[in-house]
Amino acid sequence: MQERRSKIKVGLAQIDARLGDLEFNLAHHLEWIGQARAEGVELLLFPELSLTGYRLLHLTPRVAIHPETSPIIARLREAAPGMAVVVGCVEEDDNGALYNSALLLEGGEISHVHRKLYLPTYGIFQEGRFFSEGRKLRMAKLFGNPFGVLICEDFWHSDPAEKLARHGAKLIGIVSASPGRIGPDEMPPSQEAWESLTRASALLNTAWIVYCGRVGWEEGTFYTGGSHIVRPGGELLARAPYLEEHLLTAEIDLREADRLRWRLPILADERSDIEWVE
Amino acid sequence: MIRKDEVAGRLKLNEALAVAALADFLRDGVENAGCTGLVLGLSGGVDSALAAALAVRAIGTERVHAFFLPYRSSEPQSAVDAGAVAAKLGLKLTSIDITPQVDIYFDRVDPQADRVRRGNKMARERMTILFDQSKKLGALVTGTSNKSEILLGYSTVFGDNASSLNPIGDLYKQQVWQLARHLGIPEQVVTKRPSADLWPGQTSEGELGFEYAMADEVLYLMFDQGLTADEVVDRGYPEAVVARIVHLERANRFKRRLMLIARLSGSAINLDREIPRD
Repeated sequence: MQERRSKIKVGLAQIDARLGDLEFNLAHHLEWIGQARAEGVELLLFPELSLTGYRLLHLTPRVAIHPETSPIIARLREAAPGMAVVVGCVEEDDNGALYNSALLLEGGEISHVHRKLYLPTYGIFQEGRFFSEGRKLRMAKLFGNPFGVLICEDFWHSDPAEKLARHGAKLIGIVSASPGRIGPDEMPPSQEAWESLTRASALLNTAWIVYCGRVGWEEGTFYTGGSHIVRPGGELLARAPYLEEHLLTAEIDLREADRLRWRLPILADERSDIEWVE
Repeated sequence: MIRKDEVAGRLKLNEALAVAALADFLRDGVENAGCTGLVLGLSGGVDSALAAALAVRAIGTERVHAFFLPYRSSEPQSAVDAGAVAAKLGLKLTSIDITPQVDIYFDRVDPQADRVRRGNKMARERMTILFDQSKKLGALVTGTSNKSEILLGYSTVFGDNASSLNPIGDLYKQQVWQLARHLGIPEQVVTKRPSADLWPGQTSEGELGFEYAMADEVLYLMFDQGLTADEVVDRGYPEAVVARIVHLERANRFKRRLMLIARLSGSAINLDREIPRD
Protein backbone atom coordinates (compact mmCIF):
# COMPACT_ATOMS: atom_id res chain seq x y z
CA MET A 1 0.00 0.00 0.00
CA GLN A 2 1.43 3.29 -1.05
CA GLU A 3 1.59 6.14 1.35
CA ARG A 4 -1.47 8.30 0.94
CA ARG A 5 -0.66 11.86 0.03
CA SER A 6 -3.10 14.65 -0.41
CA LYS A 7 -1.24 17.10 -2.63
CA ILE A 8 -1.12 16.11 -6.27
CA LYS A 9 0.17 17.98 -9.30
CA VAL A 10 -2.43 17.37 -11.99
CA GLY A 11 -1.91 17.83 -15.73
CA LEU A 12 -4.55 17.86 -18.44
CA ALA A 13 -3.14 17.08 -21.89
CA GLN A 14 -5.61 18.83 -24.18
CA ILE A 15 -4.42 17.35 -27.46
CA ASP A 16 -5.62 16.56 -30.97
CA ALA A 17 -5.60 12.99 -32.28
CA ARG A 18 -5.10 11.55 -35.74
CA LEU A 19 -8.13 9.42 -36.50
CA GLY A 20 -7.36 5.70 -36.57
CA ASP A 21 -3.58 6.11 -36.35
CA LEU A 22 -2.39 4.40 -33.15
CA GLU A 23 1.33 4.75 -33.84
CA PHE A 24 1.11 8.46 -34.58
CA ASN A 25 -1.02 9.08 -31.51
CA LEU A 26 1.29 7.00 -29.32
CA ALA A 27 4.24 9.16 -30.36
CA HIS A 28 2.17 12.25 -29.60
CA HIS A 29 1.33 10.89 -26.14
CA LEU A 30 4.98 10.18 -25.43
CA GLU A 31 5.92 13.77 -26.28
CA TRP A 32 3.27 15.14 -23.95
CA ILE A 33 4.23 12.74 -21.16
CA GLY A 34 7.78 14.05 -21.50
CA GLN A 35 6.60 17.63 -21.29
CA ALA A 36 4.38 16.85 -18.29
CA ARG A 37 7.26 15.12 -16.53
CA ALA A 38 9.40 18.20 -17.04
CA GLU A 39 6.70 20.21 -15.31
CA GLY A 40 6.51 17.82 -12.38
CA VAL A 41 3.05 16.44 -13.18
CA GLU A 42 2.05 13.41 -11.10
CA LEU A 43 -1.37 12.69 -12.60
CA LEU A 44 -1.73 13.28 -16.35
CA LEU A 45 -5.06 12.91 -18.13
CA PHE A 46 -5.49 12.49 -21.87
CA PRO A 47 -8.90 12.93 -23.56
CA GLU A 48 -11.45 10.26 -24.42
CA LEU A 49 -10.21 7.80 -27.08
CA SER A 50 -6.96 9.74 -27.10
CA LEU A 51 -5.02 6.92 -28.76
CA THR A 52 -7.44 6.44 -31.65
CA GLY A 53 -9.45 9.60 -32.22
CA TYR A 54 -13.16 9.72 -31.59
CA ARG A 55 -15.29 9.54 -34.73
CA LEU A 56 -14.14 6.11 -35.82
CA LEU A 57 -17.41 4.60 -37.09
CA HIS A 58 -16.52 1.40 -38.96
CA LEU A 59 -12.83 1.89 -38.19
CA THR A 60 -13.58 1.08 -34.54
CA PRO A 61 -12.64 -2.64 -34.61
CA ARG A 62 -9.49 -1.91 -36.61
CA VAL A 63 -7.94 0.04 -33.74
CA ALA A 64 -9.17 -2.16 -30.88
CA ILE A 65 -6.55 -3.45 -28.44
CA HIS A 66 -6.29 -5.84 -25.53
CA PRO A 67 -4.65 -3.46 -23.04
CA GLU A 68 -2.78 -6.09 -21.01
CA THR A 69 -0.95 -7.43 -24.05
CA SER A 70 -0.92 -4.37 -26.31
CA PRO A 71 2.57 -3.22 -27.34
CA ILE A 72 1.19 0.33 -27.61
CA ILE A 73 0.11 0.29 -23.98
CA ALA A 74 3.36 -1.42 -22.98
CA ARG A 75 5.31 1.54 -24.38
CA LEU A 76 3.13 3.98 -22.46
CA ARG A 77 3.57 1.94 -19.28
CA GLU A 78 7.34 2.10 -19.66
CA ALA A 79 7.28 5.78 -20.53
CA ALA A 80 5.56 6.95 -17.39
CA PRO A 81 7.21 5.49 -14.30
CA GLY A 82 6.31 7.49 -11.25
CA MET A 83 3.50 9.27 -13.07
CA ALA A 84 -0.13 8.21 -13.16
CA VAL A 85 -1.53 8.56 -16.68
CA VAL A 86 -5.09 8.19 -17.97
CA VAL A 87 -5.34 7.33 -21.68
CA GLY A 88 -8.32 6.51 -23.86
CA CYS A 89 -8.56 3.52 -26.19
CA VAL A 90 -10.87 1.07 -27.91
CA GLU A 91 -10.70 -1.97 -25.63
CA GLU A 92 -11.59 -5.44 -26.88
CA ASP A 93 -12.51 -8.09 -24.35
CA ASP A 94 -12.11 -11.85 -24.69
CA ASN A 95 -15.57 -12.17 -26.19
CA GLY A 96 -14.88 -9.67 -28.96
CA ALA A 97 -16.94 -6.91 -27.36
CA LEU A 98 -15.54 -3.40 -27.87
CA TYR A 99 -15.54 -0.73 -25.18
CA ASN A 100 -14.78 2.96 -25.10
CA SER A 101 -12.32 2.71 -22.21
CA ALA A 102 -10.04 4.84 -20.09
CA LEU A 103 -6.98 3.15 -18.61
CA LEU A 104 -5.09 4.36 -15.56
CA LEU A 105 -1.42 3.51 -15.88
CA GLU A 106 0.67 3.74 -12.76
CA GLY A 107 4.03 2.27 -11.78
CA GLY A 108 4.26 0.34 -15.04
CA GLU A 109 0.89 -1.33 -14.47
CA ILE A 110 -2.64 -0.85 -15.70
CA SER A 111 -4.10 -0.12 -12.29
CA HIS A 112 -7.64 0.64 -13.39
CA VAL A 113 -9.90 0.27 -16.42
CA HIS A 114 -13.11 2.23 -16.78
CA ARG A 115 -15.48 1.22 -19.57
CA LYS A 116 -17.79 4.04 -20.62
CA LEU A 117 -21.18 3.45 -19.04
CA TYR A 118 -23.37 5.71 -21.14
CA LEU A 119 -22.93 5.57 -24.90
CA PRO A 120 -24.57 8.55 -26.60
CA THR A 121 -26.49 7.40 -29.66
CA TYR A 122 -28.47 10.45 -30.69
CA GLY A 123 -27.86 13.56 -32.74
CA ILE A 124 -24.41 13.20 -34.26
CA PHE A 125 -23.41 10.49 -31.78
CA GLN A 126 -23.32 6.85 -32.87
CA GLU A 127 -21.45 5.13 -30.06
CA GLY A 128 -24.16 2.55 -29.35
CA ARG A 129 -23.66 1.14 -32.85
CA PHE A 130 -19.98 0.44 -32.37
CA PHE A 131 -19.36 -0.07 -28.64
CA SER A 132 -20.75 -2.20 -25.82
CA GLU A 133 -21.76 -0.44 -22.64
CA GLY A 134 -19.62 -0.73 -19.57
CA ARG A 135 -21.58 -2.28 -16.72
CA LYS A 136 -19.37 -1.67 -13.72
CA LEU A 137 -18.25 1.34 -11.78
CA ARG A 138 -15.21 0.87 -9.57
CA MET A 139 -12.96 3.13 -7.62
CA ALA A 140 -9.44 3.71 -8.88
CA LYS A 141 -6.57 4.38 -6.49
CA LEU A 142 -4.25 7.32 -6.91
CA PHE A 143 -1.26 7.48 -4.58
CA GLY A 144 -3.38 5.71 -1.97
CA ASN A 145 -6.44 7.91 -2.47
CA PRO A 146 -9.79 6.93 -3.91
CA PHE A 147 -10.03 8.41 -7.42
CA GLY A 148 -12.95 8.42 -9.81
CA VAL A 149 -12.58 8.15 -13.59
CA LEU A 150 -15.52 8.85 -15.91
CA ILE A 151 -15.82 9.31 -19.66
CA CYS A 152 -17.77 12.19 -21.18
CA GLU A 153 -21.45 11.11 -21.33
CA ASP A 154 -21.06 9.28 -17.98
CA PHE A 155 -20.99 12.75 -16.48
CA TRP A 156 -24.26 13.83 -18.13
CA HIS A 157 -25.97 11.49 -15.69
CA SER A 158 -25.56 12.51 -12.07
CA ASP A 159 -25.44 9.01 -10.63
CA PRO A 160 -21.88 7.84 -11.47
CA ALA A 161 -20.10 10.89 -10.03
CA GLU A 162 -22.36 10.82 -7.01
CA LYS A 163 -21.64 7.11 -6.41
CA LEU A 164 -17.91 7.77 -6.64
CA ALA A 165 -18.12 10.66 -4.19
CA ARG A 166 -20.25 8.68 -1.78
CA HIS A 167 -17.69 5.90 -1.85
CA GLY A 168 -14.91 8.26 -0.95
CA ALA A 169 -13.61 9.94 -4.11
CA LYS A 170 -12.45 13.48 -3.46
CA LEU A 171 -11.12 13.78 -7.00
CA ILE A 172 -13.06 12.82 -10.11
CA GLY A 173 -11.46 12.98 -13.55
CA ILE A 174 -13.61 13.27 -16.66
CA VAL A 175 -12.06 12.62 -20.02
CA SER A 176 -13.99 13.75 -23.05
CA ALA A 177 -14.17 14.18 -26.82
CA SER A 178 -17.14 16.45 -26.94
CA PRO A 179 -18.04 18.11 -30.26
CA GLY A 180 -18.10 21.87 -29.88
CA ARG A 181 -20.51 24.57 -30.98
CA ILE A 182 -19.92 28.28 -31.36
CA GLY A 183 -22.48 30.91 -30.43
CA PRO A 184 -22.49 34.64 -29.68
CA ASP A 185 -20.41 34.56 -26.50
CA GLU A 186 -16.75 34.20 -25.68
CA MET A 187 -17.46 30.86 -24.05
CA PRO A 188 -18.73 28.33 -26.60
CA PRO A 189 -22.21 27.02 -25.68
CA SER A 190 -20.82 23.49 -25.52
CA GLN A 191 -18.39 24.62 -22.81
CA GLU A 192 -21.09 26.53 -20.93
CA ALA A 193 -22.85 23.23 -20.57
CA TRP A 194 -19.70 21.45 -19.44
CA GLU A 195 -18.76 24.06 -16.87
CA SER A 196 -22.31 24.10 -15.51
CA LEU A 197 -22.04 20.36 -14.97
CA THR A 198 -18.54 20.27 -13.53
CA ARG A 199 -19.17 23.19 -11.17
CA ALA A 200 -22.51 21.78 -9.98
CA SER A 201 -20.93 18.38 -9.44
CA ALA A 202 -18.02 19.87 -7.51
CA LEU A 203 -20.56 21.56 -5.26
CA LEU A 204 -23.02 18.71 -4.81
CA ASN A 205 -20.32 16.08 -4.44
CA THR A 206 -17.96 18.37 -2.52
CA ALA A 207 -15.07 17.03 -4.59
CA TRP A 208 -12.39 18.17 -7.03
CA ILE A 209 -13.53 17.81 -10.63
CA VAL A 210 -10.97 17.83 -13.43
CA TYR A 211 -12.21 17.83 -17.01
CA CYS A 212 -9.88 16.98 -19.89
CA GLY A 213 -11.27 17.74 -23.35
CA ARG A 214 -9.60 17.62 -26.74
CA VAL A 215 -9.14 19.86 -29.76
CA GLY A 216 -8.93 19.41 -33.52
CA TRP A 217 -11.32 18.55 -36.33
CA GLU A 218 -12.71 15.18 -37.35
CA GLU A 219 -14.92 14.97 -40.44
CA GLY A 220 -16.63 18.31 -40.04
CA THR A 221 -16.86 18.39 -36.24
CA PHE A 222 -14.45 20.19 -33.97
CA TYR A 223 -13.59 19.74 -30.32
CA THR A 224 -13.53 22.84 -28.18
CA GLY A 225 -10.80 22.33 -25.62
CA GLY A 226 -11.44 24.44 -22.55
CA SER A 227 -10.21 21.71 -20.19
CA HIS A 228 -10.57 22.86 -16.62
CA ILE A 229 -10.16 22.18 -12.93
CA VAL A 230 -12.88 22.94 -10.42
CA ARG A 231 -12.35 23.17 -6.66
CA PRO A 232 -14.59 21.35 -4.21
CA GLY A 233 -17.55 23.72 -3.92
CA GLY A 234 -17.56 24.74 -7.56
CA GLU A 235 -14.99 27.50 -8.00
CA LEU A 236 -13.03 27.34 -11.24
CA LEU A 237 -9.32 27.01 -10.51
CA ALA A 238 -7.88 26.93 -14.03
CA ARG A 239 -9.00 26.64 -17.64
CA ALA A 240 -7.08 25.81 -20.81
CA PRO A 241 -7.64 27.93 -23.94
CA TYR A 242 -10.16 26.95 -26.59
CA LEU A 243 -9.26 25.33 -29.92
CA GLU A 244 -5.55 24.74 -29.29
CA GLU A 245 -3.42 22.03 -27.79
CA HIS A 246 -2.42 22.87 -24.25
CA LEU A 247 -1.02 21.29 -21.11
CA LEU A 248 -2.96 22.66 -18.16
CA THR A 249 -1.35 21.98 -14.80
CA ALA A 250 -2.24 22.78 -11.22
CA GLU A 251 -1.46 21.47 -7.79
CA ILE A 252 -4.54 20.29 -5.98
CA ASP A 253 -4.95 19.36 -2.32
CA LEU A 254 -7.47 16.64 -1.56
CA ARG A 255 -7.73 17.98 1.99
CA GLU A 256 -9.61 20.92 0.52
CA ALA A 257 -12.52 18.53 -0.07
CA ASP A 258 -12.37 17.44 3.56
CA ARG A 259 -12.34 21.02 4.79
CA LEU A 260 -15.41 21.77 2.68
CA ARG A 261 -17.15 18.62 3.87
CA TRP A 262 -16.67 19.67 7.51
CA ARG A 263 -18.72 22.79 6.96
CA LEU A 264 -20.95 21.49 4.17
CA PRO A 265 -21.70 17.85 5.09
CA ILE A 266 -24.24 17.27 2.34
CA LEU A 267 -22.66 14.00 1.20
CA ALA A 268 -22.78 12.61 4.71
CA ASP A 269 -26.39 13.77 5.03
CA GLU A 270 -27.44 11.92 1.88
CA ARG A 271 -30.43 9.64 2.54
CA SER A 272 -31.67 6.56 0.74
CA ASP A 273 -34.69 6.00 2.97
CA ILE A 274 -36.98 8.67 1.55
CA GLU A 275 -40.25 7.06 0.61
CA TRP A 276 -41.86 7.94 -2.70
CA VAL A 277 -45.61 8.49 -2.31
CA GLU A 278 -47.84 8.21 -5.40
CA MET B 1 -40.12 29.32 -26.27
CA ILE B 2 -38.10 31.54 -28.57
CA ARG B 3 -39.59 34.92 -29.36
CA LYS B 4 -39.21 36.48 -32.79
CA ASP B 5 -37.13 39.34 -31.42
CA GLU B 6 -34.61 36.92 -29.92
CA VAL B 7 -33.81 35.06 -33.12
CA ALA B 8 -31.39 37.52 -34.70
CA GLY B 9 -29.34 37.58 -31.47
CA ARG B 10 -29.10 33.82 -31.46
CA LEU B 11 -27.68 33.86 -34.96
CA LYS B 12 -24.78 36.09 -33.91
CA LEU B 13 -21.41 34.41 -33.70
CA ASN B 14 -18.39 35.04 -31.57
CA GLU B 15 -16.25 36.19 -34.46
CA ALA B 16 -12.82 35.36 -33.07
CA LEU B 17 -13.78 31.81 -32.16
CA ALA B 18 -15.71 31.15 -35.36
CA VAL B 19 -12.88 32.40 -37.56
CA ALA B 20 -10.25 30.46 -35.61
CA ALA B 21 -12.28 27.24 -35.79
CA LEU B 22 -13.07 27.55 -39.50
CA ALA B 23 -9.48 28.38 -40.44
CA ASP B 24 -8.40 25.37 -38.42
CA PHE B 25 -10.92 23.24 -40.34
CA LEU B 26 -9.31 24.21 -43.65
CA ARG B 27 -5.76 23.75 -42.37
CA ASP B 28 -6.66 20.32 -41.02
CA GLY B 29 -8.41 19.37 -44.25
CA VAL B 30 -5.41 20.27 -46.39
CA GLU B 31 -3.04 18.45 -44.06
CA ASN B 32 -5.16 15.30 -43.84
CA ALA B 33 -5.54 15.09 -47.60
CA GLY B 34 -1.78 15.50 -48.05
CA CYS B 35 -2.45 18.45 -50.36
CA THR B 36 -0.45 21.59 -50.85
CA GLY B 37 -3.19 24.20 -50.84
CA LEU B 38 -6.70 25.31 -51.65
CA VAL B 39 -8.44 26.27 -54.88
CA LEU B 40 -11.53 28.43 -55.03
CA GLY B 41 -13.60 30.53 -57.35
CA LEU B 42 -13.98 34.19 -56.47
CA SER B 43 -17.24 35.47 -57.94
CA GLY B 44 -17.17 38.95 -56.51
CA GLY B 45 -19.80 37.90 -53.96
CA VAL B 46 -19.54 37.76 -50.22
CA ASP B 47 -19.64 33.95 -49.80
CA SER B 48 -16.56 33.25 -51.88
CA ALA B 49 -14.87 36.32 -50.38
CA LEU B 50 -15.35 34.94 -46.87
CA ALA B 51 -14.21 31.46 -47.91
CA ALA B 52 -11.09 33.01 -49.45
CA ALA B 53 -10.38 35.08 -46.35
CA LEU B 54 -10.66 31.97 -44.17
CA ALA B 55 -8.40 30.05 -46.55
CA VAL B 56 -5.77 32.78 -46.33
CA ARG B 57 -6.02 32.71 -42.54
CA ALA B 58 -5.60 28.96 -42.60
CA ILE B 59 -2.64 28.49 -44.91
CA GLY B 60 -1.44 31.89 -46.15
CA THR B 61 -1.76 33.63 -49.50
CA GLU B 62 0.88 31.62 -51.36
CA ARG B 63 -1.07 28.37 -51.13
CA VAL B 64 -4.53 29.75 -51.96
CA HIS B 65 -5.31 29.72 -55.67
CA ALA B 66 -8.16 32.05 -56.63
CA PHE B 67 -9.98 31.95 -59.99
CA PHE B 68 -12.42 34.39 -61.52
CA LEU B 69 -14.56 32.55 -64.08
CA PRO B 70 -16.82 35.00 -65.97
CA TYR B 71 -19.36 34.32 -68.70
CA ARG B 72 -20.03 36.92 -71.38
CA SER B 73 -23.19 38.10 -69.61
CA SER B 74 -21.60 38.39 -66.15
CA GLU B 75 -22.08 41.79 -64.51
CA PRO B 76 -18.99 43.99 -65.04
CA GLN B 77 -19.18 44.86 -61.34
CA SER B 78 -18.46 41.19 -60.48
CA ALA B 79 -14.99 41.47 -61.97
CA VAL B 80 -14.37 44.71 -60.08
CA ASP B 81 -15.50 43.15 -56.79
CA ALA B 82 -13.59 39.89 -57.25
CA GLY B 83 -10.50 41.99 -57.97
CA ALA B 84 -11.09 44.07 -54.85
CA VAL B 85 -11.38 40.96 -52.68
CA ALA B 86 -8.22 39.44 -54.17
CA ALA B 87 -6.34 42.71 -53.67
CA LYS B 88 -7.53 43.00 -50.09
CA LEU B 89 -6.41 39.44 -49.31
CA GLY B 90 -3.16 39.68 -51.29
CA LEU B 91 -4.23 36.89 -53.65
CA LYS B 92 -3.24 36.50 -57.27
CA LEU B 93 -6.47 36.19 -59.26
CA THR B 94 -6.48 34.09 -62.43
CA SER B 95 -9.29 34.85 -64.85
CA ILE B 96 -10.65 32.23 -67.25
CA ASP B 97 -13.58 33.08 -69.53
CA ILE B 98 -16.05 30.19 -69.62
CA THR B 99 -18.10 31.58 -72.50
CA PRO B 100 -16.70 29.37 -75.30
CA GLN B 101 -17.16 26.08 -73.50
CA VAL B 102 -20.72 26.93 -72.42
CA ASP B 103 -21.83 28.35 -75.76
CA ILE B 104 -20.39 25.60 -77.91
CA TYR B 105 -22.54 23.02 -76.17
CA PHE B 106 -25.82 24.90 -76.46
CA ASP B 107 -25.07 26.15 -80.01
CA ARG B 108 -24.47 22.61 -81.17
CA VAL B 109 -26.94 20.67 -79.07
CA ASP B 110 -29.81 22.87 -78.01
CA PRO B 111 -29.86 26.55 -78.99
CA GLN B 112 -33.34 26.92 -77.46
CA ALA B 113 -32.16 26.05 -73.93
CA ASP B 114 -33.61 28.38 -71.29
CA ARG B 115 -31.60 30.55 -68.95
CA VAL B 116 -31.87 28.19 -65.99
CA ARG B 117 -30.26 25.38 -67.97
CA ARG B 118 -27.62 27.76 -69.19
CA GLY B 119 -27.03 28.98 -65.67
CA ASN B 120 -26.65 25.44 -64.38
CA LYS B 121 -24.19 24.68 -67.15
CA MET B 122 -22.13 27.73 -66.20
CA ALA B 123 -22.03 26.65 -62.56
CA ARG B 124 -20.90 23.16 -63.57
CA GLU B 125 -18.32 24.39 -66.05
CA ARG B 126 -16.85 26.56 -63.34
CA MET B 127 -16.62 23.60 -61.02
CA THR B 128 -14.96 21.38 -63.65
CA ILE B 129 -12.34 24.09 -64.09
CA LEU B 130 -11.75 24.34 -60.35
CA PHE B 131 -11.43 20.57 -60.00
CA ASP B 132 -9.06 20.42 -62.97
CA GLN B 133 -6.94 23.18 -61.45
CA SER B 134 -7.02 21.39 -58.11
CA LYS B 135 -5.50 18.33 -59.75
CA LYS B 136 -2.85 20.41 -61.44
CA LEU B 137 -1.98 22.31 -58.27
CA GLY B 138 -2.35 19.46 -55.79
CA ALA B 139 -4.92 21.52 -53.94
CA LEU B 140 -8.44 20.97 -52.62
CA VAL B 141 -11.51 22.73 -53.98
CA THR B 142 -13.02 24.93 -51.30
CA GLY B 143 -16.79 25.15 -51.21
CA THR B 144 -18.44 28.55 -51.07
CA SER B 145 -22.12 27.66 -50.48
CA ASN B 146 -23.72 28.90 -47.28
CA LYS B 147 -26.28 27.15 -45.07
CA SER B 148 -29.20 29.28 -46.26
CA GLU B 149 -28.75 28.44 -49.92
CA ILE B 150 -27.90 24.80 -49.22
CA LEU B 151 -31.13 24.37 -47.23
CA LEU B 152 -33.16 26.22 -49.83
CA GLY B 153 -31.55 24.28 -52.66
CA TYR B 154 -30.52 27.55 -54.30
CA SER B 155 -27.58 25.94 -56.00
CA THR B 156 -26.66 23.78 -58.96
CA VAL B 157 -26.15 20.15 -58.10
CA PHE B 158 -22.55 19.16 -58.96
CA GLY B 159 -22.00 22.83 -59.76
CA ASP B 160 -21.46 25.46 -57.10
CA ASN B 161 -22.53 22.98 -54.42
CA ALA B 162 -19.71 20.58 -55.29
CA SER B 163 -16.48 20.91 -53.35
CA SER B 164 -13.96 18.95 -51.34
CA LEU B 165 -14.52 20.87 -48.16
CA ASN B 166 -16.75 23.76 -47.30
CA PRO B 167 -15.91 26.09 -44.42
CA ILE B 168 -19.08 28.18 -44.65
CA GLY B 169 -21.77 25.53 -45.21
CA ASP B 170 -23.00 25.80 -41.60
CA LEU B 171 -23.24 29.61 -41.71
CA TYR B 172 -26.52 31.32 -42.49
CA LYS B 173 -26.25 34.25 -44.89
CA GLN B 174 -26.32 36.83 -42.12
CA GLN B 175 -23.55 34.97 -40.33
CA VAL B 176 -21.56 35.13 -43.57
CA TRP B 177 -22.11 38.89 -43.61
CA GLN B 178 -21.02 39.17 -39.97
CA LEU B 179 -17.79 37.22 -40.41
CA ALA B 180 -17.01 38.89 -43.75
CA ARG B 181 -17.22 42.31 -42.10
CA HIS B 182 -15.08 41.08 -39.23
CA LEU B 183 -12.40 39.94 -41.68
CA GLY B 184 -12.41 43.25 -43.54
CA ILE B 185 -14.02 42.16 -46.80
CA PRO B 186 -14.67 45.36 -48.81
CA GLU B 187 -18.02 46.86 -47.79
CA GLN B 188 -19.25 47.05 -51.40
CA VAL B 189 -19.04 43.23 -51.51
CA VAL B 190 -20.77 42.72 -48.17
CA THR B 191 -23.65 45.07 -48.86
CA LYS B 192 -24.45 44.31 -52.49
CA ARG B 193 -27.58 42.35 -53.35
CA PRO B 194 -26.80 38.61 -53.36
CA SER B 195 -26.76 37.19 -56.86
CA ALA B 196 -25.68 34.04 -58.65
CA ASP B 197 -24.96 36.36 -61.62
CA LEU B 198 -26.08 33.72 -64.10
CA TRP B 199 -28.10 36.19 -66.20
CA PRO B 200 -28.30 39.98 -66.26
CA GLY B 201 -30.24 41.49 -63.37
CA GLN B 202 -30.60 38.21 -61.49
CA THR B 203 -30.80 38.55 -57.71
CA SER B 204 -31.10 35.68 -55.27
CA GLU B 205 -33.76 37.33 -53.17
CA GLY B 206 -35.75 38.27 -56.28
CA GLU B 207 -35.72 34.68 -57.46
CA LEU B 208 -36.41 33.16 -54.07
CA GLY B 209 -39.22 35.61 -53.32
CA PHE B 210 -38.04 36.64 -49.85
CA GLU B 211 -35.10 38.26 -48.13
CA TYR B 212 -32.28 36.27 -46.60
CA ALA B 213 -32.54 38.10 -43.29
CA MET B 214 -36.03 36.67 -42.83
CA ALA B 215 -35.31 33.31 -44.45
CA ASP B 216 -32.40 32.74 -42.08
CA GLU B 217 -34.65 33.23 -39.09
CA VAL B 218 -37.33 30.92 -40.45
CA LEU B 219 -34.76 28.26 -41.33
CA TYR B 220 -33.13 28.59 -37.91
CA LEU B 221 -36.45 28.09 -36.15
CA MET B 222 -37.40 25.08 -38.27
CA PHE B 223 -34.10 23.37 -39.00
CA ASP B 224 -32.05 24.20 -35.90
CA GLN B 225 -34.84 24.49 -33.32
CA GLY B 226 -37.32 21.99 -34.73
CA LEU B 227 -40.39 24.23 -34.80
CA THR B 228 -43.28 23.41 -37.14
CA ALA B 229 -44.35 25.79 -39.90
CA ASP B 230 -47.42 26.77 -37.87
CA GLU B 231 -45.31 27.58 -34.84
CA VAL B 232 -43.08 29.78 -37.01
CA VAL B 233 -46.08 31.61 -38.48
CA ASP B 234 -47.45 32.10 -34.93
CA ARG B 235 -44.31 34.07 -34.13
CA GLY B 236 -45.18 36.63 -36.76
CA TYR B 237 -43.47 35.45 -39.95
CA PRO B 238 -45.56 35.75 -43.15
CA GLU B 239 -47.40 32.54 -43.92
CA ALA B 240 -46.65 32.63 -47.65
CA VAL B 241 -42.91 33.00 -47.04
CA VAL B 242 -42.85 30.17 -44.52
CA ALA B 243 -44.81 27.92 -46.91
CA ARG B 244 -42.39 28.70 -49.74
CA ILE B 245 -39.37 27.96 -47.55
CA VAL B 246 -40.91 24.67 -46.39
CA HIS B 247 -41.50 23.72 -50.02
CA LEU B 248 -37.96 24.61 -51.17
CA GLU B 249 -36.32 22.80 -48.27
CA ARG B 250 -38.33 19.64 -48.97
CA ALA B 251 -37.96 19.73 -52.75
CA ASN B 252 -34.20 20.17 -52.67
CA ARG B 253 -33.18 17.53 -50.17
CA PHE B 254 -31.75 15.42 -52.99
CA LYS B 255 -29.06 18.02 -53.50
CA ARG B 256 -27.80 17.55 -49.96
CA ARG B 257 -27.43 13.78 -49.99
CA LEU B 258 -25.16 13.07 -52.89
CA MET B 259 -23.86 9.64 -53.89
CA LEU B 260 -27.14 7.85 -53.23
CA ILE B 261 -26.11 4.27 -53.87
CA ALA B 262 -28.48 1.34 -54.38
CA ARG B 263 -27.50 -1.20 -51.75
CA LEU B 264 -27.37 -4.85 -52.72
CA SER B 265 -24.36 -6.33 -50.97
CA GLY B 266 -24.80 -5.67 -47.27
CA SER B 267 -21.51 -3.80 -47.35
CA ALA B 268 -22.47 -0.72 -49.34
CA ILE B 269 -20.28 2.39 -49.32
CA ASN B 270 -21.50 5.02 -46.85
CA LEU B 271 -24.44 2.86 -45.75
CA ASP B 272 -22.99 -0.32 -44.22
CA ARG B 273 -19.42 0.94 -44.27
CA GLU B 274 -19.09 4.43 -42.90
CA ILE B 275 -15.37 5.01 -43.11
CA PRO B 276 -14.47 8.51 -41.96
CA ARG B 277 -12.55 10.45 -44.59
CA ASP B 278 -10.17 11.97 -42.05
